[in-house]
Amino acid sequence: MQAEPSQIADNDLLQAVSRGDESALAALYDRYRLILFGLILRILHDRHEAEDVLQEAFLQVWRRANDFDPARGRAFTWLVTIARSRALDRLRMLGSRSRFIDADEHAGSNEVLDTVGELVRSEAGEIVRRALRELPDEQRRTLLLAYFEGLTQAEIAERLGHPLGTVKTRMRSGLIKLRELLRDRSRDLA
Amino acid sequence: MEHREYQELLASHALDALDARDAQALRAHLATCAECRNEFDELSDAAALLAHEAEPLAPSDDVRRRIMRDIRSLPRSADEAPIMPLSQGLSAAWPNVWRLAAVFAFVALLLGIIVLWRRDTVSRRQIAELARQLDQQQSQLQVERHNLAQQAEAVALLNSPDAKRISLAGTPTAQLARATFVYDEKSRNGVLLIEGLPDAPANKAYEVWFIPKGLAPIPGRTFTVNANGRALVSHGMPVAPGSSSVIAITLEPKNGSTAPTGPIYLASPAL
Repeated sequence: MQAEPSQIADNDLLQAVSRGDESALAALYDRYRLILFGLILRILHDRHEAEDVLQEAFLQVWRRANDFDPARGRAFTWLVTIARSRALDRLRMLGSRSRFIDADEHAGSNEVLDTVGELVRSEAGEIVRRALRELPDEQRRTLLLAYFEGLTQAEIAERLGHPLGTVKTRMRSGLIKLRELLRDRSRDLA
Repeated sequence: MEHREYQELLASHALDALDARDAQALRAHLATCAECRNEFDELSDAAALLAHEAEPLAPSDDVRRRIMRDIRSLPRSADEAPIMPLSQGLSAAWPNVWRLAAVFAFVALLLGIIVLWRRDTVSRRQIAELARQLDQQQSQLQVERHNLAQQAEAVALLNSPDAKRISLAGTPTAQLARATFVYDEKSRNGVLLIEGLPDAPANKAYEVWFIPKGLAPIPGRTFTVNANGRALVSHGMPVAPGSSSVIAITLEPKNGSTAPTGPIYLASPAL
């Protein structure tokens, strides 16, 4: 490969990974380790488990890079989806201990984690957080419970004591609104 | 469930928040509906951006090293355990044969534990892989059942005394192609029988369009043809063919377009 790894598009890197190119996997890891590790740690609240899951996720990327279809979505989405499902699988395997941590307590637990890891506040994170703040509280809360705790609509309804129909509507409206808010800026995000 | 109801599930599915039953039904629908698939892919892209809401944090450097090490051994899985080097000066430092034997026993025990641990990891990976395959086969089965039901509906429609027919002729792009659109105004069902179309190139598919007089084309289903150049397209047909003055088929990107972009292969005369 002639170009610097940092200039190669995600799709090309994944294609190289599917051909067994180890340096392409390393380049993808270097590019996305911070965001993916942050995501996994937010789900698991345990650094050791999160590092294990990050490793598993990249081994899955190595084995299944062939499954990535650029016509169906972005490479970033594919990577994030693998990392998140792996983390949620681990969360379920470990039992529901993390589920007792309510979404509101995340701020506190993050402060503890900041002292452990290197904190990098990215521009992309700011854009997404700003868009999320534009959503009504209940929509935002519903999206975050589903995304970071892997709760189903029914589980969210039970947790919040709200009717299932309301949760369904909030989830749908919330994600559609978020998509609209991020649509114009999404090129800068991934 | 109807198309509209499936559409309402897409956002929750993009967040993986449906119960197993709805998720399975939606997966089967997605396999046959390009419009929902496009919407789902877009919503999944939006959902993935939620990952940015978590603080980016650095894992320890060891993780990268472990990954690069494991991908080398991955295809070969459990064939060998790492060998621990024995110190060169061991026999000089421990002349006593029994002590040496004890050291060997200890190392053997360690190796045994490592082998068992690796085997356990491999088995767990295999179980996860099998579970994934089972899941895949179940959704495949669901898709096939769905296809079978569609074909049964199409046969019923073809035999219906109320069915009306519209012929589509091949354009100069596909002179050998022809198609018949059979529909029943009462039950508002329609089926399109196509023959003589060339195989669609990779990453392309044919798409059906309904063009009401004076209005923009309405996208229908996308489809590909079998080895004999034939296809049967049911569902996603116009609910009111009377209002469609022309039916046309164009070549589009695999996931379909919202407005025709490719060449026209088949078209009906204006009704």
